[in-house]
Amino acid sequence: MGKSSKDKRDLYYRKAKEQGYRARSAFKLLQLNEQFHFLDDPNLKRVVDLCAAPGSWSQVLSRKLFTEDPDKENTKDKKIIAVDLQPMSPIDNVITLQADITHPKTLAKILELFGNEKADFVCSDGAPDVTGLHDLDEYVQQQLIMSALQLTTCILKTGGTFIAKIFRGRDIDLLYSQLGFLFKRVICAKPRSSRGTSLEAFIVCMDYSPPKNWFPELDVNKSVTEFFEGCMVTKDESSNDILPAWVEEDRVIAEFMSCGGLDSYDSDATY
Amino acid sequence: MKEISHHGPGLCVKFYDEFVYAGYGPYIEQYNYKSGELINRCRVFRKNKVHGISISSNGYILAYGARSAAVCSLSDISDNVSILQEERLLAEWITCGEFSADGNKVFLLTCYNKVIISDIIGTIIGVKTIKGERSILYSGSIKPFSDELVYISAGTVMGGVLVWNLYEESIVHNLKGHEGSIFYSTISDNGKYLASCSDDRSIRLWDLKTGAELTIGWGHTARIWNLKFFQDDRKIISVSEDCTCRVWDIIVDEDGKSVLLQQSNIYEVHQIKNVWGVDVNSDHMIAVTSGNDGRLKITDLIQTSRTGKETGSFSIQKIQDELDIPFEKGEIIKGFQWFSFGLIAVTSFGKILKYGDVNKKWTLELEDKRFSSFVIVSGISSKNIAIFMNNKADILLLRFDAVGNLQLSSDYNIKGLKKSTNCLVSIFDRKSIILLLESPNPRDRLIFLKIDNYNLDILQEFRFNRPDNFVTTCMEAFEDYILLGSRFSTIGIFNLKGSDVDPYLIRKLTPGDTITSVSFVEIEKKLPIFSVTNRDGYFNFITIDLKRSSCKRVHFSVLHSNKVSKGFLEGAYIDDKNQYITYGFKSSLFYMYNETNCYEIMSEPCGGAHRQWNLFPDGRGFVLVYIKASDLHYRKIREPRFPAVLKNGLHGREIRDISILKSQPYKNGYLFCTASEDTTVRLSHFDQDTGDITNYWLQRKHVSGLQRCKFINHHLMISCSAREELFLWDIDQDSSSRPYISTRATLPTSSDIPDLRIMDFDVKFLLNSDSFLLATVYSDSVIKVWSFDEATNKFALLIEGRYETCCLLNVKLESVAKQLYLITTPTDGHVVVYNITDYIPYELADNFQFLLENFNECKTLPLPNYITKFLVHQSGIKTFCTDSESLPRTIKIFTGGDDNAIAMNILKVDADSLGIISSSSSFIEDAASSTITSISLFDKNRKLMMTSVDQLVKVWDVTGDDLVPIDKRYTTIADTGSLDVVTLEDSSTLSLIGGVGISLWKLAF
Ligand SMILES: C[S@@+](CC[C@H](N)C(=O)[O-])C[C@H]1O[C@@H](n2cnc3c(N)ncnc32)[C@H](O)[C@@H]1O
Repeated sequence: MGKSSKDKRDLYYRKAKEQGYRARSAFKLLQLNEQFHFLDDPNLKRVVDLCAAPGSWSQVLSRKLFTEDPDKENTKDKKIIAVDLQPMSPIDNVITLQADITHPKTLAKILELFGNEKADFVCSDGAPDVTGLHDLDEYVQQQLIMSALQLTTCILKTGGTFIAKIFRGRDIDLLYSQLGFLFKRVICAKPRSSRGTSLEAFIVCMDYSPPKNWFPELDVNKSVTEFFEGCMVTKDESSNDILPAWVEEDRVIAEFMSCGGLDSYDSDATY
Repeated sequence: MKEISHHGPGLCVKFYDEFVYAGYGPYIEQYNYKSGELINRCRVFRKNKVHGISISSNGYILAYGARSAAVCSLSDISDNVSILQEERLLAEWITCGEFSADGNKVFLLTCYNKVIISDIIGTIIGVKTIKGERSILYSGSIKPFSDELVYISAGTVMGGVLVWNLYEESIVHNLKGHEGSIFYSTISDNGKYLASCSDDRSIRLWDLKTGAELTIGWGHTARIWNLKFFQDDRKIISVSEDCTCRVWDIIVDEDGKSVLLQQSNIYEVHQIKNVWGVDVNSDHMIAVTSGNDGRLKITDLIQTSRTGKETGSFSIQKIQDELDIPFEKGEIIKGFQWFSFGLIAVTSFGKILKYGDVNKKWTLELEDKRFSSFVIVSGISSKNIAIFMNNKADILLLRFDAVGNLQLSSDYNIKGLKKSTNCLVSIFDRKSIILLLESPNPRDRLIFLKIDNYNLDILQEFRFNRPDNFVTTCMEAFEDYILLGSRFSTIGIFNLKGSDVDPYLIRKLTPGDTITSVSFVEIEKKLPIFSVTNRDGYFNFITIDLKRSSCKRVHFSVLHSNKVSKGFLEGAYIDDKNQYITYGFKSSLFYMYNETNCYEIMSEPCGGAHRQWNLFPDGRGFVLVYIKASDLHYRKIREPRFPAVLKNGLHGREIRDISILKSQPYKNGYLFCTASEDTTVRLSHFDQDTGDITNYWLQRKHVSGLQRCKFINHHLMISCSAREELFLWDIDQDSSSRPYISTRATLPTSSDIPDLRIMDFDVKFLLNSDSFLLATVYSDSVIKVWSFDEATNKFALLIEGRYETCCLLNVKLESVAKQLYLITTPTDGHVVVYNITDYIPYELADNFQFLLENFNECKTLPLPNYITKFLVHQSGIKTFCTDSESLPRTIKIFTGGDDNAIAMNILKVDADSLGIISSSSSFIEDAASSTITSISLFDKNRKLMMTSVDQLVKVWDVTGDDLVPIDKRYTTIADTGSLDVVTLEDSSTLSLIGGVGISLWKLAF
């Protein structure tokens, strides 16, 4: 059965249509916010939506920051930047960028748009194409998160929030452990609008506080792994003289939180 | 806890010497491809899978996968169970690994386009990259032309192939043309070409010197994962998500200017999805492929020309020229029969011709004008007898010797038929054959002639009344009975020794129409078993009690029922390896298919089922003879030169549930069922010592991905899926050759919403009976309770109701204190308990294990309100099990959730109110780092086994107030989702764990 035919029967799909959202994913962000209230902060000004197409998260951000803000004065230095490989049709109050988030030039553009001011909130709902090789798919997804994180470390203010889509496979605890080096609190959250049968969940990383002696610096000649050297425990081979022996790496189980309340619709149910 | 065996996706394969080395999970398996023997299985990585293998000219092997790499000598792989001490861990994913030309160095290309150069023992010699090109790769390969010149071809996610010079760290080409991610690229040995494949389903061939795109190969219907040049770079083989492997010829035109990629062959090699690995042995012209289904398949690339004598064809003109006698205008071949010496054919003018397969010559055997315009040819190849019949009931019998000399001919005219239009023959006993003559007139009787093999005398004649709507299509003789298959899915049984002139009839055996074969298989419990095939694809195994049967009633039962995956089914047989082989047509192809292990044996583009064709056994295999465009063609089908498979796979996609038939062992192990996302249910067997799996049957009755399968007693099994599909299966294991499985009943559905899933079910049996109470829970929050009656094979709905609006994931029926509780776990994290004792027409037997009929009126009642519900998990309870035996008046409930937690809740039944009191609980918040998918109690309910998506298997002691961890192990099965446990007679415990593949574990504490 095709994924699309399933989506059509989905209640969230219909609800998205009703409320004018471009995708059912909007409810994932809304339900995450119901739990963590990161979008309810009146001081929220600059936000970045990575891997944003078709744009339902950006729509949520636009409504939260602009439409629903009672204090219209407050909106003048607010800014939303949405980035995706795919083109996106315009959304009110959102600056869209068609770019690859893994490319260093993308960061430069975002920084420029913010006038070199830091962002308060970065989210990423990105997912690469799946091949069906479970380990490779999980790795590539984690690398996309690391790319998003790489950007994030260069633009997020200390104390800011980063959220990203994850797939809870066999090495997810490795990622949790790595995120622990950059954020004070890392939670794995599953909105009720995300299907229970899928491995999808979201990491909610709060209170950004990079290590004191580490200064993120984008370099086109460095890979993501090399970028995080000195911040995380990973070591690249150039610094070794032999191929390192296998070691059991640090793994941490992040706290799990279900979001969206039990009264919200169940995405696994047939209505 | 110890893993005994692992069956799962095979990611890479390599020929070397007389061996195939296969990356199989974290192991390398070494096979002799001539004998098919497994030489050794060596563990190379702790957790990672072997994605690639390279072998050096001086006998070293490099294995890499994920971030792991290991180098050792080939003999280390043959001689050891593990080389884990050699495992190295890199910081980045290894996309490709290769030895240098002299074999002394190792190159490892990582997914960020960096190459690490080391020596054999792992000393790093250098690290190479190209500036500014450090984005992620899906694929890449390394081509060491010499010690100085090494090319890297890197497949990016943006449609480009980046070719760079390793030592110069310079870009040679950036090949652009593909759309989407590049999944493979490779350079030919002669340095002329680079071939690449991608998301866009095309293969592109590039000129390595100029970087020009030479040609594009289209054909695959899904993504392409791997490519290989072979036969001196003149051919390419490709493997894809579409389950096929294809061979492409590189055709260069005379002036060498234009190059074409032409698909020359296509092979269906794996099931459902994804072929990952491929290699070719050009000396023997065989390919080996590995796929997600865990199969290691050998494909003969020259199956039809291996000895040069496999195929042949003759036009009428060619035959005429050779015979040197004139044919009449419009004279054509009307019929044929193949023998070990060659072919006997008859023309439309009564010329009986012989083709000698040894001297390759046509001769005119005789001419008989009676067999001109209408003639049917049949025969018994093993007895060298050919039979001709015309529509006036003249028959001519010819007997040849082993080399094809005509020994004897006899002819007869059979009286009593107005017309004769059908003639079938079959071996009757050692000395005689049996012939059936049939007239188109329904009032004419059916005539059987028993004919002596040797002197061709008619020994006996039998005449039977012809039943209504009976058109014979096939015949089988068994003892004194003749079984005829007919249209309208009817079988007629004719007792040659009895006094009855009417046959015994089995009507409407399968949903299809024409029965295409009936053949005796074996005797089980003194009764014969027959395999029956139907043109519409259905096949059955039935047992018939011939002695007790009469024309009033046939005593038979269906042991096995199934349907082929596609096409028309013309016949089937069991081969000498106890595998069920089917054959027939799919569109214009004739095919033979190994049904037991689910792979195609051969296919021949013969134009389709409406052709005149026949498949003849000739002592060395089979010969397919057919007429296409009035030419006569033959194709010999021989035992393959090399084994067709080195390892049989299991499912092509995730295994969602496993159930072991625990009540009795079967052949040093147990039978078990697996229910898969690929919509099939398999019945297989595992050996308890080796962990080897034998496939028996793959059932295709479900049309949607499976949710559950479970043995409910010693011979009944239930499976369920979306579209409200729930089937009751009956397993017969009395035969020592193989078990059988048939659908016994189907649960009625209430809607045609394809997404409405039956998520789980549970049963409670009536005492000493196959009747039971069934509870089913649905994805629309509906709960139903049914009774199943063994006599009528019918389900009756007893209770129907709805919990709320959320999906229900699991259900259990538990009885304590003479009450029957239905416990269900929805996606809202609660455990919900209903008391249904007064809603069913049964009462509980004294031990509460069984039900007794209490003869209340059987009608559908609404589901009562739940008596209690309590929140245990934050989100869906994925799995749960219960124990009502360890403590009196108590149900222990164990749950595992999407929230990484497991819990134990103790429910006590209040003696007076019969209400439920939740008394104590234990909750482990971080039992896993990901969803907990399956839990199971074992060791007399003292221990709990648990699997989770993070690929850890954990065991907990559950005897106290808290859950205490005792053991944890990593499993190599990805998407770990199901498990079942069986305790052996020696009280040791075995467990099967399923996901993308399956593994067998032995537990001892
Ligand atoms: C699930 S969709 C995002 C849906 C979006 N949040 C919404 O609510 O409409 C994932 C997106 O990730 C994007 N993506 C994947 N890899 C990317 C990359 N490297 N750079 C930018 N976008 C990427 C894809 O193009 C795709 O549009």
